Amino acid sequence: MCDQTFLAISFGPCDKCVKTKPLMNIYIKTDQFNYCSLCVEMMANEGLRDNETLSSLKNESETLKCKLEEERAKLHDVELHQVADRVDALGQFVMKTRRTLKGHGNKVLCMDWCKDKRRLVSSSQDGKVIVWDAFTTNKEHAVTMPCTWVMACAYAPSGCAIACGGLDNKCSVYPLTFDKNENMAAKKKSVAMHTNYLSACSFTNSDMQILTASGDGTCALWDVESGQLLQSFHGHAADVLCLDLAPSETGNTFVSGGCDKKAMVWDLRSGQCIQSFETHDSDINSVRYYPSGDAFASASDDATCRLYDLRADREVAIYSKESIIFGASSVDFSLSGRLLFTGYNDYTINVWDVLKGTRVSILFGHENRVSTLRVSPDGTAFCSGSWDHTLRV
Amino acid sequence: MSGTVCSSGAVTQAQRAVEQLRLEAATERIKISKAATELMLYCQENCRQDPLLSGVPASANPFKDKKTCILL
Repeated sequence: MCDQTFLAISFGPCDKCVKTKPLMNIYIKTDQFNYCSLCVEMMANEGLRDNETLSSLKNESETLKCKLEEERAKLHDVELHQVADRVDALGQFVMKTRRTLKGHGNKVLCMDWCKDKRRLVSSSQDGKVIVWDAFTTNKEHAVTMPCTWVMACAYAPSGCAIACGGLDNKCSVYPLTFDKNENMAAKKKSVAMHTNYLSACSFTNSDMQILTASGDGTCALWDVESGQLLQSFHGHAADVLCLDLAPSETGNTFVSGGCDKKAMVWDLRSGQCIQSFETHDSDINSVRYYPSGDAFASASDDATCRLYDLRADREVAIYSKESIIFGASSVDFSLSGRLLFTGYNDYTINVWDVLKGTRVSILFGHENRVSTLRVSPDGTAFCSGSWDHTLRV
Repeated sequence: MSGTVCSSGAVTQAQRAVEQLRLEAATERIKISKAATELMLYCQENCRQDPLLSGVPASANPFKDKKTCILL
């Protein structure tokens, strides 16, 4: 049962029964009405046709699900790695840790790169959010959040602000200033309000809108200036743990993954769920779009990562090995989409060949589980954050 | 399903699930062979620009540790 995103409830005369009651704002065929909850219930039941009962609806949903599976299976004519046989295999990879960013007092939970390819922001369990320069390892800004477990942080596309949130149920935007005398916390703007912890946040193409995902099972799009809720996305049956926006050329969609093992693709403007994928066996910890925008990968506690193609509407590859038993916490593609980097709870990072489905390399170095992983915007490096309080580039 | 209807009752939930499934059943799909080939083509087109794949010369690598300059 997912909670609603927080909204103000207005009190007044119902449009239907004219009694003064707490009103719910609902849409019928794009017209907005204010009805009291009793009228909404009655209307919902009237909306049922005569022979529709709960059980008949359930039967219909079962048959539709089977039909969906059949349709999807019909198109499953070949596996991705079979098609990829023609491609040359990748050579041996040697990737070294070039920088270790130390300074967090506790587990690093999330990080994001700035578009200038050199700065990054990271957040940790102790409530600190730090902006680093990855080339020099200097800390440029540090903010202490009033809550612990800052599970989400994001860099604005302009590089002038950061957003972060966690157990405080909200997303706060801090403008970055180089003035040493200014207290960054003073300029904080609270943007989102959820009824449960914030698990992920991301700016859309501009600094003005933020997309958030929360433990209350919903995602929401907010306007930064006014703090207003622009669109909310309901559909997950449990906590939403991650989200990723489609790369700008391909339009207004985003994918979210949650504890209900489903990954859902949404339309930003209508709030509608376009596609959903339910093949994982456990919580989905991280989702990331393929650079072309036609597919996305997901990492889950069931120790596998899967690639889903959006146009074929199904899972096309699974990246797993019997020797990997720990859950995968984060995933990201290299610039061309050929490599998939995944961080696991067994302290390692595995590099997979996306097309062939084979593991190319394992990276060791962290002393605790890898919680977050992102490739830099120009693809020259990737950064991983871990529960061992450090980030490695 | 835009809007903010409170999910009261299993009936409305079931109705919504059926609506959603109907929508999904109606979406257009392409064959995996086509989708997979397109993914592959994208990879191949971009693999030259991928520094992690093809490696960067040490002089261009911004993360390479530079030896400190000694000013004489």
